[in-house]
Amino acid sequence: MKHQVMLRIGPASFRVGSAWPQPIVDLARLYAAYPQPEDGIADFTVRLEPTRPWRRFIRPSVFIGGDHMLADAAPMALAHGLLAAEMGMNMQMALGWRRHLLLHASCVEKDGRALVMTGESGSGKSTLAAQLGERGWRLMGDEFALLDPTTGQIFAFPRLVSLKNQAIAVMQGEAPAERFGPLMRDTPKGDIRHLVPNRSAVTRMDEGTIPALLLFPRFGFAPEVREVGQGEAFMRLTQASTNYVTLGERGFTALTRFVTDIPARAIDFSSGDEAIAMIDRLWETLA
Amino acid sequence: MSGALLVAVLRNPASASRLTPGDWNGLIAASRAERLIGTLAVRLAGVSVPASVEPILADARDEAAREARQALWEADRAAAALAGTGIPVILLKGTAYAAAGLRAGEGRFIGDLDILVPRDRLDDVEAAILAAGWEWVKPDPYDDEYYRRWMHELPPMIHKERDRMIDIHHTILPLTARQTPDAAAMMADAVPLDGGLYVLSPEDRVCHAAAHLFADGDLAGGLRNLWDIHCLLTECRSMPALTARAAQHGLTKAVARATRLADALYREDRSGLTAFDHLFVARLLARDGWGRETRKLLRFAFFVRSHWLRMPPIMLARHLWTKWRKGHRPA
Amino acid sequence: MAQDQYRAEPASDYILRSLDDVTLVYHRRSGQTHIVVSPVPEILAALTGDISSTAEIVARLSHDYDLGDPHDALAAVQTHLDEMVALGLAHVA
Repeated sequence: MKHQVMLRIGPASFRVGSAWPQPIVDLARLYAAYPQPEDGIADFTVRLEPTRPWRRFIRPSVFIGGDHMLADAAPMALAHGLLAAEMGMNMQMALGWRRHLLLHASCVEKDGRALVMTGESGSGKSTLAAQLGERGWRLMGDEFALLDPTTGQIFAFPRLVSLKNQAIAVMQGEAPAERFGPLMRDTPKGDIRHLVPNRSAVTRMDEGTIPALLLFPRFGFAPEVREVGQGEAFMRLTQASTNYVTLGERGFTALTRFVTDIPARAIDFSSGDEAIAMIDRLWETLA
Repeated sequence: MSGALLVAVLRNPASASRLTPGDWNGLIAASRAERLIGTLAVRLAGVSVPASVEPILADARDEAAREARQALWEADRAAAALAGTGIPVILLKGTAYAAAGLRAGEGRFIGDLDILVPRDRLDDVEAAILAAGWEWVKPDPYDDEYYRRWMHELPPMIHKERDRMIDIHHTILPLTARQTPDAAAMMADAVPLDGGLYVLSPEDRVCHAAAHLFADGDLAGGLRNLWDIHCLLTECRSMPALTARAAQHGLTKAVARATRLADALYREDRSGLTAFDHLFVARLLARDGWGRETRKLLRFAFFVRSHWLRMPPIMLARHLWTKWRKGHRPA
Repeated sequence: MAQDQYRAEPASDYILRSLDDVTLVYHRRSGQTHIVVSPVPEILAALTGDISSTAEIVARLSHDYDLGDPHDALAAVQTHLDEMVALGLAHVA
């Protein structure tokens, strides 16, 4: 592949190859502060390739290939090449990572303890994590939290934060311009812009943390806090994990320990500030 | 080329100690693309590898072990479903290798459950499997009619809750193929395992694998199939026993070619290769350091050839035309 | 059906965990996790040891639990046993 870059995000390393230069240029710039895989060997390969040979030049169309792929994935426009690369790396983690239990959750850390927030797309978990990351919390990840089956600690996967639609303007008010990637309009998920996690998030990415609070956020509702039972938390987390079944017994013991050790709450909110105030209160009493 | 590197390391794991980081990236990508990383990881157990490679291989071994557990459970459930019918459950392919503890099963990624049952009991089998929670995968009338008339297996079924597929075979090659293996003999000589399950005899396992190496897809997955055959050959009682059995099934040429290719790749003995064999080898090794298939024209030629092997040319034209109209295209 | 004898899957083949409102069963051979509520954990416990008929299991359970109408209890336990057999947590002996 003509253009390529290697990078490490938390415990996972990637080799990204591309038929076109721009996605690699973007990745190299945005991930400049991140380490390289130590001995030059990557855990996963991602390929951005033309769907047909002539589509390299004519109406360029990017197919996301790699070690793990979905054969029927829709190709993407070259203008969204950076997004394609990020989706490719996500796919490798979701389908191929088994050193930790993968929770589809955002995660932030304060005072040596981690807050895990899980929910559907649109729940607000990613934007909340990004905001907390600019307010004294360490951002550990906006999409995946890695649960270590042996120690019960959470490890960080601080990829570029993927901001969608309104969240872009919110974060542009909170983080400096040089930490933003290109604005990509009209992607399959609307407008998207990436935000590089801050210095502390990157330099401390290898630090594991004991989880202390699990939240199920829901944006767009009147503010409310509700206790969540262990059974409900367990079931929702298995649905939110791409590798629970793959991990077998280790996954079972890790997740049962997680839900029995850690309090869980569902929070509804209609603004980021509202949510953050609720989180501060809950953190003080429960964490 | 990473296809050749993969084969070389499988043949001689100790040679991995000389690999550069670039070699490793290519080897890992190629082995994943060929679904051989579990096998590679088993072969490399105990060989000194770079620090970041060890967890990658450990993961592959764990994943293969998990797949084997899941596959054996599917076999167990199929046996439970068929217990009342008195029909013996003969396992085929990956599940068979795992169940029988064969070398071919070590590190192997196993897909669906494949079983072999007598053709005259198909209705009973179908009923028992459906009653135990499996259902049809895709009820397309053309495919269904085609399957039932010409194929060696029922249309595929999937379990409602476990989401796992089962393929029920009544012989080992489609009825439209030119060879007609002796399915009854295979069933009569099946070897019993614990738990009421059976596998084919050592010679029949090779015959089955060889028949499918060329009759199925366009040699996609061929490196893995030939690794299976390489391992299975070591368990045959003797070469004369194998050739006699192959003759009985009308599979002399297929088994001979499979043996030549397996020897060429995995025992580095190319002495017997014909000119056409060399094309096969080129096709099999066409994988680059990024895991991509190379030599596309060669691949398309094999795609058409494999369909030709399965059915007479007139039927092929009609079949491909109908599929083409429905939007199926080789990549 | 009522004449069937049952035995449990060996205790080493599954893990039970109680959460506040449900019980989780991880079944090693199938790799499946089952979320169950009473009376399934109690039936599993009543099954361990030897081979028993449905009636014997009901009798054992009624030592510690009020099962209500005996005819209904037999039918209910039978239904649960059939499900557990389908899942591999129990076997017809």
